[in-house]
Amino acid sequence: MATLLQLSRLIDRMSELIGKSVAWLVLAAVLISALNAAVRKAFNTSSNAYLEIQWYLFAAVFLLAAGYTMLRQEHVKIDVISGRFTKRTQVWIDIIGLAFFVLPLVYTVIHLSLPLAIRSYVMNEYSSNAGGLIRWPVFALLPLGFLLLGIQAISELIKRIAFLKGLVPDPTQKPQGKTAEEELADFLKQKEVAARDEAALRAKP
Amino acid sequence: MMEFIGANMAPIMFISLIVFLLFGYSVAFSLGACGLFFGVIGVEMGLMPQTLLQALPLRIFGIMQNDTLLAIPFFTFMGLILERSGMAEDLLDTIGQLFGPIRGGLAIAVILVGAMLAATTGVVAASVISMGLISLPIMLRYGYDRRLASGVIAASGTLAQIIPPSLVLIILADQLGRSVGDLYKGAFIPGFVLTGLYLLYVVIVSVLRPEWAPALPPEARTIREDSGAAGLRSLGVLMVVSVACAIVFAKTRPDNTPTDELIVVSMCVGVGIAFLLSVVNKMLKLGLLSRMAERVTFVLIPPLALIFLVLGTIFLGVATPTEGGAMGATGALVMAFARRRMDMKLMRQAMDSTMKLSCFVLFILIGSTVFSLSFQAVDGPIWVEHLLTSLPGGQLGFLIVVNILIFLLAFFLDFFELSFIVIPLIGPVAEKLGIDLVWFGVLLAVNMQTSFMHPPFGFALFYLRSVAPMNDYDDKITRKRVAKVTTGQIYWGAVPFVIIQIIMVGLIIAFPKLVSSGLGKEPTVDVDKAFQQMQTAPRQSTGGDPAPAPGSGASGAQPAAPDSQGKSDDDAMKSLLEGFKRDADKKP
Repeated sequence: MATLLQLSRLIDRMSELIGKSVAWLVLAAVLISALNAAVRKAFNTSSNAYLEIQWYLFAAVFLLAAGYTMLRQEHVKIDVISGRFTKRTQVWIDIIGLAFFVLPLVYTVIHLSLPLAIRSYVMNEYSSNAGGLIRWPVFALLPLGFLLLGIQAISELIKRIAFLKGLVPDPTQKPQGKTAEEELADFLKQKEVAARDEAALRAKP
Repeated sequence: MMEFIGANMAPIMFISLIVFLLFGYSVAFSLGACGLFFGVIGVEMGLMPQTLLQALPLRIFGIMQNDTLLAIPFFTFMGLILERSGMAEDLLDTIGQLFGPIRGGLAIAVILVGAMLAATTGVVAASVISMGLISLPIMLRYGYDRRLASGVIAASGTLAQIIPPSLVLIILADQLGRSVGDLYKGAFIPGFVLTGLYLLYVVIVSVLRPEWAPALPPEARTIREDSGAAGLRSLGVLMVVSVACAIVFAKTRPDNTPTDELIVVSMCVGVGIAFLLSVVNKMLKLGLLSRMAERVTFVLIPPLALIFLVLGTIFLGVATPTEGGAMGATGALVMAFARRRMDMKLMRQAMDSTMKLSCFVLFILIGSTVFSLSFQAVDGPIWVEHLLTSLPGGQLGFLIVVNILIFLLAFFLDFFELSFIVIPLIGPVAEKLGIDLVWFGVLLAVNMQTSFMHPPFGFALFYLRSVAPMNDYDDKITRKRVAKVTTGQIYWGAVPFVIIQIIMVGLIIAFPKLVSSGLGKEPTVDVDKAFQQMQTAPRQSTGGDPAPAPGSGASGAQPAAPDSQGKSDDDAMKSLLEGFKRDADKKP
């Protein structure tokens, strides 16, 4: 089990690293799209390559981040019923979900999409649009993204089994401690609310 | 036994879906697993073709190529940057001080600012948190009824769901196979009417129960002249001048200018004049404008500029919604830099949150695609259609049942889940019944807005709870003890607004004209999608007509029926012609 937990930590670090790097593609997509729109209006020219790179980037963002999103427990659940169960039952639900929902889906998608990506690579396929981009990298994103998801699912599985054995703390806690909303609230309290209270105090006759 | 299963595969699959979802594992994977499970069983039993799942990668590639969905990360990113820029807080502060001294004024300010934030940031959580931190303490300080105060804040925050550019409209447009621009245009008037209904409610309350919404004492104003005057006169003059300029400008436009263009451009001129006057006044130190007039102008400029940059360009047809989102996000970045609010931490956080949101949303879509692949193979959509078309009352009966269904489901599901699971099932039926899908989408969006306000799971209530005072505290300004806000007060506060929401749904059904529909649009044929559909169609259908693929929004490949509304037979031709004229005008 110790070896497995080590493996799980390694996987978590990898997903974390990939997630942090892929996040920059969001900014890239925003800037390229805005630039493309501005250039299209100003000079009335556009290239399919710029249009295509946008969705290439977006596809890369959501597929490559799948493992990271799972690490961060951000794939939403309907916990109307399961929220009432004990922690152990909830962890069992996760284990069943990971083993029988996620992994078969991951296997199916990789099994079906990998041949397409390989064929596209071998045939050196290009987009059918004039000036379009080479196709195989975006085809390859699909099996790659699901592979990362599957690897992370294995790590989550290890953590949950270890939890049931009492080896690790609760893995269903969100790791970063604070949610984005809590951070926003803290930020506003520090900056905005304090400044306004002060103004009100000063203005008080 | 096997025959029974074979004959009733669709209802069995549907009930299993509910079981899978309630099981409590991630929605995206539960959907996918349910589809996969029945796909394998179906193939084994010989109910589905061997090659059924072969279509799956192509469907997912279709999702990856979807230009509409690209708008999701752009608008999310824009909202996340804006929520830290201080724009919301400045607006709440200034507009609150402007309206505060009249009865119910603070509540009115919250609603107005909520609508303005909805048209820019579009993040319900951010709006509710800002209002809960800035406006709620002031309302409590001066003795507002707690239920009214919390209800107004939660409801105004949810306006982000209906006023464009909202994510739910993007997703509905994709799922219903209509253009995002049309849904945005359609949702504009209902969004304003809804804001108006909220305002009306506050006004009625402040007349009937003055003690629930007291006016602020004049000394609560921190923005005032040295003499102590409020400085409203010069604000009034400035407003009259800029409105007059806008109207004069509008009159000089050629007669054939489309109305939406006229409104957008004239508003820009009016706001521009006000801004120019304020800048000149400040630079030359003329002292003609009061502090209040100056503050109001300067806080209104950033949101209005963003609204023009995003919605203005989309409505004028200059930019696609995706481009509008990208420009808005860039604009938000520029603004955050200009206000020195941008740092590495914020950038990382915004990118991170955007990525996670895009990922979970798109994976729900992938999951629902897997499900719909199997569901179509067992003729599920036909089963749903028979179920819904056999309702008494035709169109109206269908609308009432669907709305009640969505209203009830909204207690448990959020709008992402509703849009990806329920809409693909009912969308095609609505189209068969001759319902205009743009109108239908706006109607559902108003209904789904309640999912944020339903006690006890509504997100808006949850965020408000997280920032509303949990314990009694001493107010810093008045040095008086202020009681905490109880969870019960927050829940009860939301109830009148949920009722307003239901009234609005009724209004849209009664007066379909509220939604300016996209009639007269030329049918656009997306070659890529059509080709993809041709490739996948023979594989996915076993008998029956090849149903449009709900998961991929491929119905965009079908020419939109010009007169699909049925009710507006008389002037359909007229609006069709107008539409063509307008489109022709817009072509460069």
